[in-house]
Amino acid sequence: MILRVFDPTNEMKAADIQPAVRPTSLQGKTVGFISNGKEGTKGYFAQLERMLREELGVAQVVWRTKSNYSAPADARIVDEIKNWHAVVTGVGD
Amino acid sequence: MQGSIRGALTSKIYEVDDFAAAQELYHSNGWTDGLPVVPPTAAAVEACLEWALMAPDQLIGVEPVREQPISAEKLAINAVMAGCLPLHFPIVATAWQAMMKEEFLLHGVTSSTGGCAILVIINGPIRREIGANPTFNALANSDRATAVIGRALRLALINLLDVRPGGVDRTTLGHPGKFSYCLAEDEEDTDWQPLSVVRGIPEGLSAVTVMAAMAPRQIMNEWTTDPREILETFAAEMRANQRHYSIYGGNYAIVIPKQLREHIQRAGWTKRDIAEFLYERARIRRAEWADVGKAAVVRDRGDRVHTALESPDHLLVVAAGGPAGGFGAVIPPWMGGKTKAVTAAIGACVDCEPPKG
Repeated sequence: MILRVFDPTNEMKAADIQPAVRPTSLQGKTVGFISNGKEGTKGYFAQLERMLREELGVAQVVWRTKSNYSAPADARIVDEIKNWHAVVTGVGD
Repeated sequence: MQGSIRGALTSKIYEVDDFAAAQELYHSNGWTDGLPVVPPTAAAVEACLEWALMAPDQLIGVEPVREQPISAEKLAINAVMAGCLPLHFPIVATAWQAMMKEEFLLHGVTSSTGGCAILVIINGPIRREIGANPTFNALANSDRATAVIGRALRLALINLLDVRPGGVDRTTLGHPGKFSYCLAEDEEDTDWQPLSVVRGIPEGLSAVTVMAAMAPRQIMNEWTTDPREILETFAAEMRANQRHYSIYGGNYAIVIPKQLREHIQRAGWTKRDIAEFLYERARIRRAEWADVGKAAVVRDRGDRVHTALESPDHLLVVAAGGPAGGFGAVIPPWMGGKTKAVTAAIGACVDCEPPKG
């Protein structure tokens, strides 16, 4: 007997969000780091900053830390992102 | 509570040869929790919606971080897959509304490496309608209703918010409550107020409470009738959790079965008395972290006192469990006070403003 069953996934899409234009080079650019505040981010981001500056010529690196590592970044941090050419986040443990 | 749904179901339809083929369709697409599912047919999904008087496109809510809308139709499909009957669906829908309140922090709760499950506690007359058993084996396979309601929340997380292991769900270990973690309170066999009433829902209404919860930690003390001594055992487990897991205060649930409950009730203690006692007793100095290998994070704050509960209001006391045995359970929070337990009346609008005046 043929069964007709439904797709259980969410076919309603969240608001359509277009990703920002990707920079072709980081030379002379500003990169933001958004840490979730966990200990492991300090060494990771410090090494990443060295690499970005020495190998890719990044001019400035801005460090910011979320007030709650389990929640989205604070509005004041999100508001700053428009001043940066690239951002690195999503790194925690 | 039966009516007629308005509007047709719009979800994509798959045709499969038989029950076994349906299982393979759902498993191969990553749409299950690894267990067999009930094939969600139009008749079964419509029956859930009709029971709850919901149109298929009714918005249950919008997940606050990823702004993902959740429709009644999609939630009903997942509830059917979990094994829910129509009379279970209003509880599933209300639990989801509660989970999507800002203070529950659903995205953090479901994506964290900490790996909590969503504990569901049912109160009110609906417990009897669905045949929930709040006695023997209350935290496990006690009955059909609580098993499938708890499972429905997880399946819906998997399918509606992509909370799959290794995807949005970044859990390191998890615990078995992530299959299903639901119980009803034994309101008939206690003098205490139902949890929902303690948390502000009018008496006589059915309600559901959701809490981001770690695995239950069972305690035993059958060698006293003194409420203080009994509760000291619960406090010790809460302190142990602060030492071994997270020192920070949040919602804790404790489940007190009949044997210990009767000693406490006989002494005239209310749930509030229990909460105030445990608020005082469940606390440690930060320096104790050094005893369990966490000296690195004590720093110069060793004398700081951390309470397991931010206030007595943050304890969820639940009367449930089999009639014999000097056992109880402490259910710790996922991660301190980052998330808050939410209680919602079933059949009421959780976002509606109270009447003015």
